[in-house]
Amino acid sequence: MRASLFITCYNDTLFPETGRAVVRLLERLGVELEFHPGQTCCGQMHANTGFRPEAFSQARRFVQMYQDAETVVIPSSSCVAMIRDQYPGLFEELGDEKLRRQFAALVPRIYELSEFLIDKLGVEDVGAYFPHRVTYHASCHGLRALHLGDRPFRLLAKVGGLELAPLENLDRCCGFGGTFSVKNGDVSSAMLATKLEDVLATGAEYCTALDNSCLMHLGGGMHRQYAPMKTIHMAQILASTQQEVHG
Amino acid sequence: MSSAGHPILDPTLAPPFPVAALPVLRNPQLRKNVAHAIDVIQAKRDRLVAEKTDWQALREAASGIKDEALENLAAYLEQFEERCTAAGGHVHWAGDAAEARRIILEILRQENADEVIKIKTMTSAEIQLNPFLEAAGIRTYETDLAEIILQLGNGEPSHIVVPALHVNRGQVREIFARSMGIENLSDDPQALTAAARHYLRQKFLTVPTAISGANFLIAETGAVVIVESEGNGRMCLTLPRTLITLAGIEKVLPRFADLEVMLQLLARSATGERMNPYTSLWTGVTPGDGPQNFHVVLLDNQRSPILARKTERQTLRCIRCGACMNTCPVYRQTGGHAYGSVYPGPIGAILTPQLQQLQHARSLPYASSLCGACYDVCPVKINIPEILIDLRARVTDQERETARKFSDPMYLGLRIANWIFSRARLFHLAQWTARIVLRFFTRKDGWIHSLPSVGAKWTQTRDLRGLPRETFHQWWSERERQRTRGQGGERPKEPGTREAAR
Amino acid sequence: MSPVADSRKQVLERIRAATRGPEARGSAPATVEPPAPGYLRRGSMTAEARLALMAERLREYDAIVVECSPEGLAATIHAQLKASGRRTFVAPAGLPAEWLASEFAWRIDGNLPVDEIEGADGVVTASFCAVAESGTIVLHHGPAEGRRVITLLPDWHLCVVRAGQVVQTLPEYFDLCREQGSEGAREQGNKGADGLPALVTWISGPSATADIEMTRIKGVHGPRFLNVILVTD
Repeated sequence: MRASLFITCYNDTLFPETGRAVVRLLERLGVELEFHPGQTCCGQMHANTGFRPEAFSQARRFVQMYQDAETVVIPSSSCVAMIRDQYPGLFEELGDEKLRRQFAALVPRIYELSEFLIDKLGVEDVGAYFPHRVTYHASCHGLRALHLGDRPFRLLAKVGGLELAPLENLDRCCGFGGTFSVKNGDVSSAMLATKLEDVLATGAEYCTALDNSCLMHLGGGMHRQYAPMKTIHMAQILASTQQEVHG
Repeated sequence: MSSAGHPILDPTLAPPFPVAALPVLRNPQLRKNVAHAIDVIQAKRDRLVAEKTDWQALREAASGIKDEALENLAAYLEQFEERCTAAGGHVHWAGDAAEARRIILEILRQENADEVIKIKTMTSAEIQLNPFLEAAGIRTYETDLAEIILQLGNGEPSHIVVPALHVNRGQVREIFARSMGIENLSDDPQALTAAARHYLRQKFLTVPTAISGANFLIAETGAVVIVESEGNGRMCLTLPRTLITLAGIEKVLPRFADLEVMLQLLARSATGERMNPYTSLWTGVTPGDGPQNFHVVLLDNQRSPILARKTERQTLRCIRCGACMNTCPVYRQTGGHAYGSVYPGPIGAILTPQLQQLQHARSLPYASSLCGACYDVCPVKINIPEILIDLRARVTDQERETARKFSDPMYLGLRIANWIFSRARLFHLAQWTARIVLRFFTRKDGWIHSLPSVGAKWTQTRDLRGLPRETFHQWWSERERQRTRGQGGERPKEPGTREAAR
Repeated sequence: MSPVADSRKQVLERIRAATRGPEARGSAPATVEPPAPGYLRRGSMTAEARLALMAERLREYDAIVVECSPEGLAATIHAQLKASGRRTFVAPAGLPAEWLASEFAWRIDGNLPVDEIEGADGVVTASFCAVAESGTIVLHHGPAEGRRVITLLPDWHLCVVRAGQVVQTLPEYFDLCREQGSEGAREQGNKGADGLPALVTWISGPSATADIEMTRIKGVHGPRFLNVILVTD
């Protein structure tokens, strides 16, 4: 099984440890990984802020880069949602038929990380060990755009030593929303405060999610408040093994 | 005198959303009232939706019915006009708000009306009818309990179904005691409601002219439908001699039987009931029963341009249930007034800018984290996030034409970012530059606590971890280099889990 | 051309241009018949279960519900009127004479003045049908149901519902309309299309408001007391 890793612009820059964990995890599961060195961004930030022609140029670049990939794995729900939900409209609007066809051929081969594990590799137990109390935050794109459903829970249920603390109001947005977090910084902060009430009430040591975007926002708030909790991308939980904990 | 004569709900005067939201965010009482109200409705709604096993099929059907109506809108409006007229009603067409106001005033003048009772209609607030009539010497009396609270208290609606949800019982008591002249009025909702009932009774029995909106217009029969809970609607629809119904052109449904879908969705979405207490349908004039002088004013007011746009047309499917704002995590924090429009919440964020031809309310499409919860609950499946994104593109395209863009750090930043993303070399260089620059802001604990400019809106409430020394692609490149070099040699040690946690 | 006709023309032209233009292309094609519905149209309950559900829904919103046979109807009406402790009732002109028990004061509505309706203690009417799923009583305002105002102003309403006219789902009500036409439309000579009702009031509970702190208060305007007699035939 070969897969090409699209790490995403923000993971590459801000959360390389998530990328390293994805590599560790997937190679452990026997996946042969490629990494296209020319990758940059999927265009989501631009599309969602109203810069459509700019988003188009990034989208075209992405499709051309990956058109020969067997599979593409992306550890970010929002980027996958961008590709699935907005790329079609972008290509249709800009009337590029060749590109539209290339994209149509590529899109079934694109997977968010939990989708890749469960749907493509057919595994729930990835041999992980993470002896901590953890709460899971369902990012909006994963929940409503990708319909990830119970995939994250099935994966977490098989992690050795992990105690899952359920989160109240699981489906309520954390308030990140991309550039919304600064364009409407005050409202975003109010939403963060409300969300943190529920997250901190779980008494967990870690808050995890499949998107570092939400975690950056939640974790940034926690750190500011000296809250007794940390954030961690699920890839890093799944990549942890008993050996590494003690080794 | 109140309802939409006041600047805070006038999109041409209201401050941008981020500014308008600030005083509300600092008002714990208001935030508590809003959260409580929407939690109550949402819980009831969710229970009933779970019970309705064909809910998704109903949504699909409703969306189809509205799309069919909109695609053939001219024909259906003409059919409605013909049937309503044949049944004794008079149908008027208003191109814009000013015209609608004039038509209504003229009808009232013909009746020598100096007062008018009203059923809650947001469309009348949209055209700022009350202040216009008051200025012309005609007193307007709202008859919905929430609208009375707002009218007497000089307040503004903040929700389309429960407009006074931001007002608590103590505030209502104070408003009623003062304006109704009641001593020793308790703040028990029962007592307050009884006071309103008594206050209105005489008005219902004596004022001969009423103004209503419409939930639906039925093309097939020329009927008008009003959905309500209190009964003030029925009062206004049956007791007066003259009735004027103001309705947006998008309210028309093709057939009587289409109500079998819409009525199943509306009450469950709006108030969390299987059916609201009273729904009234009437057709033109019925001799001996109800108003004998009946007028419908059909209002365009920038709805037809919305019809023309492929992505935006679905905005006009809206049946004003309010479910979107009940579920919206942004509305939860800000309430309705922050949207500066009679239409708040997610629907307001897409409808208001369009009704203003994107000349005003340009901040509203950005008043959303794009979470998509509204789309999930919309009974007519309006893809609100899709429209928000499209409106953002249209607003940005407008900004490109102005010189203002050169002083907008967000605009400049995104243009530069796009250039950076166009080549990996540029991207990597930018990452390196960012790491160097941000080092100045990074404290000993490895975190950034304060940033300038746009970044300040982040760091006002959140820290940001300093940029790691090595990007992912650098790590990968290094690993590949070591692998090809150390072919058959020792694998380089990989970092353990501990450092992964923040 | 008068300004009024101008606006009509302009609005319709704008609408037609908007539904014809290149921007709008790709939207749903114009159809007259809607696609086959995927939602539930007909219920599957037995008549007994349906009636029980109707009674349950009525009681949920505090209506008093009693059942009787057609032969026992007049007596049941009499008993309900007596139990109410009220004396003066409005009745529509077409109400069956045997329902008008003599020991009460009846105001028959042949265009009664409003204050006589307002001053009555209650009103008695028949109904067109009822929808069990939502506990909805439907009035078409025919001769035995009366003008809309008489079921609005009095504080107490006794409504007779025939079990044979109780349907389970709302779509079934619309089927009933098509099948049975509208008593009201014919009587009032109204030009409703294909005998569809010109006047309808759907009642699913007493008047209510939740406008003050979401506290549900009943009986703002409209009868606060509803008594229903289900006539099982």
